Amino acid sequence: MTTIGRTRLADIGTYLAYGVICFFFAGPLLWLISLSIRTSAEIYVSNINLWPEHPTLENYASALNNPLFPIYLWNGLKLAVGGAFGAMLFAAPAAYALSRFRLRHQQLTMIGLLAVQMISPLVIMVPLYRYMDRVGLTDSHVGAMMIYIAVAAPLFTWMLKGFLDGIPQSLEEAAMIDGCTRFGAFMRVVLPLSLPGLTSAFVLNAILGWSQFIIPFILISRPGLLPIAVGIFNFQGTYSQTSTQILAAASVISIVPAVVVFLVLQRFIVGALMGGAVKG
Amino acid sequence: MAHVVVSQLFKKYGELQVVHGVDFEIGDGEFMVLVGPSGCGKSTILRMIAGLETVTGGEILVNDRVVNDIPPRDRDIAMVFQDYALYPHMSVRQNLGFGLKMRNAPRAEVEAAVRKTAETLQIEALLDRKPKQLSGGQRQRVAIGRAIAREPQLFLFDEPLSNLDAKLRVEMRTQIKRLHMSFKVTSIYVTHDQTEAMTLADRIVVLRDGRIEQVGTPEELYMRPANRFVAGFIGSPTMNFIEAQVVAEGDGLQVAPAGGPPLAIPRSRVERYRRHAGRSVILGIRPEDVTNTWTEESRDRESAVSLNVPVEIAEPLGSDTLIFARLGGAEIVCRASGTTAPASGSTIRLNAHMDRMHLFDPDSGMAL
Repeated sequence: MTTIGRTRLADIGTYLAYGVICFFFAGPLLWLISLSIRTSAEIYVSNINLWPEHPTLENYASALNNPLFPIYLWNGLKLAVGGAFGAMLFAAPAAYALSRFRLRHQQLTMIGLLAVQMISPLVIMVPLYRYMDRVGLTDSHVGAMMIYIAVAAPLFTWMLKGFLDGIPQSLEEAAMIDGCTRFGAFMRVVLPLSLPGLTSAFVLNAILGWSQFIIPFILISRPGLLPIAVGIFNFQGTYSQTSTQILAAASVISIVPAVVVFLVLQRFIVGALMGGAVKG
Repeated sequence: MAHVVVSQLFKKYGELQVVHGVDFEIGDGEFMVLVGPSGCGKSTILRMIAGLETVTGGEILVNDRVVNDIPPRDRDIAMVFQDYALYPHMSVRQNLGFGLKMRNAPRAEVEAAVRKTAETLQIEALLDRKPKQLSGGQRQRVAIGRAIAREPQLFLFDEPLSNLDAKLRVEMRTQIKRLHMSFKVTSIYVTHDQTEAMTLADRIVVLRDGRIEQVGTPEELYMRPANRFVAGFIGSPTMNFIEAQVVAEGDGLQVAPAGGPPLAIPRSRVERYRRHAGRSVILGIRPEDVTNTWTEESRDRESAVSLNVPVEIAEPLGSDTLIFARLGGAEIVCRASGTTAPASGSTIRLNAHMDRMHLFDPDSGMAL
């Protein structure tokens, strides 16, 4: 076979693999959209038909008309943004210290941070609830946000450290020789240069916070405080007949902000994930 | 301008000692070069003088004031970094004026200083560009400009030319020398490149493993190296080192390379070396002192010894030719004038200018 032929075959293979992966991830999403535009009668039809016979936007109207829905959205936004902001406040100084100072057991600290990231919130569900209940922080956004911050801070620290490592230390040193204090050098040189990194890590963590389910599910039970991810789940019980189609519509609505943010800030987010991977 | 004294300077990182009690002094307006192989502590010493590293022991005095605990911003110094360290988010104009701005200089004064610096370095056309829009040479010019715009009392250079290509490096070297001659600001320059050290320095500090090997003018280091390390480090190609024996021959002395012909030691050196007769030594002679030409000095004093050496490889450089040959058991490099390279395997007649030879103790490496 010629080289060109071999290359073409390899290309076809690559696209096939893309297709399979795409179907794997997009399939459930398409199915969700399909469900969201069905009438309740069409939910249980046995033949698999992606496009329903009587498509309707009725379900979206029902979801949006639910008086709690905007509250869920607002709560979700509050927790996601607050959590990401709080995580940034803790992670930025930590990342700066890990990137700039010679610390004892530095490697161990970094691995420790990553190890925390590996613990699923499911594992700590029971002790977390009992602990937060004991200190009176259940059913409160502040309490939930604290856990959002604790969960997000390690990953945030790793990402920011990657960014800060890419900013040469000599820039700060030059600034200090030019007349800045260390803090001055941080504010005038490091901060402006790490803004893209901070922004992308913030956005990524806000998106992760937006889709957070377990933590608010454990800690919040008052409907008025629930974020969207848990709120939708509670939709199930609020309608007398089958509510799958409304649940699906609500889910689609809840995904939209995350998808929009991702598409708009795609470049930043990929940057955050790649931060530190390649020395620039 | 500043007078700098470094006294019994020590630096430790944890258990690792990298600078071992270093002493030297830099006069007002002097250009001092710290040179040595990587890991010799030269950059660490410079960074301690800048205030970017803490001092473990000893003192650094600038104009008789101990500056050990004074932060970098209050030392009135400027530093040019190896990677230029230009602020990427600022224009060239802002980079040049940053130091003055941080010192709350009036806007008009900042602008005047920026304009003057840009003129001196011929970078007026670049003032509104960002560093990433500049070439390596232009960046280096801006980095130097940022240092001179503030008119500090002490300039520090940390291997500023090592990221440039060979041609640009020579150009910038001349520019730095010219600037120093016109500003006469005390300067400390760190490099691992002995050519840079020799061409720029008023005096050179040669360092190895955190200790000073020798301090002196370029000529002193070249002509009278204190030990084998300095002799080998200064000069290119490096000095030939040949195991030999000092032999008494009547009134005179000879130095006999292992397996090679004995070479007469000039009369002027006989008294100095007489007590080493019968001892093993290391004979050091620079490639440029084993050549096919005569110097006036050698001819007058008859201190040149003729040698017939077999040629292994010849490398024509244009103006002259490097000849790799054998002297007894040792391989030596000679520098012959002319472009005609002798063929490998042929024998060539060269003159060893023994008035330029050096003898070193084989154990301590110290010059005898």
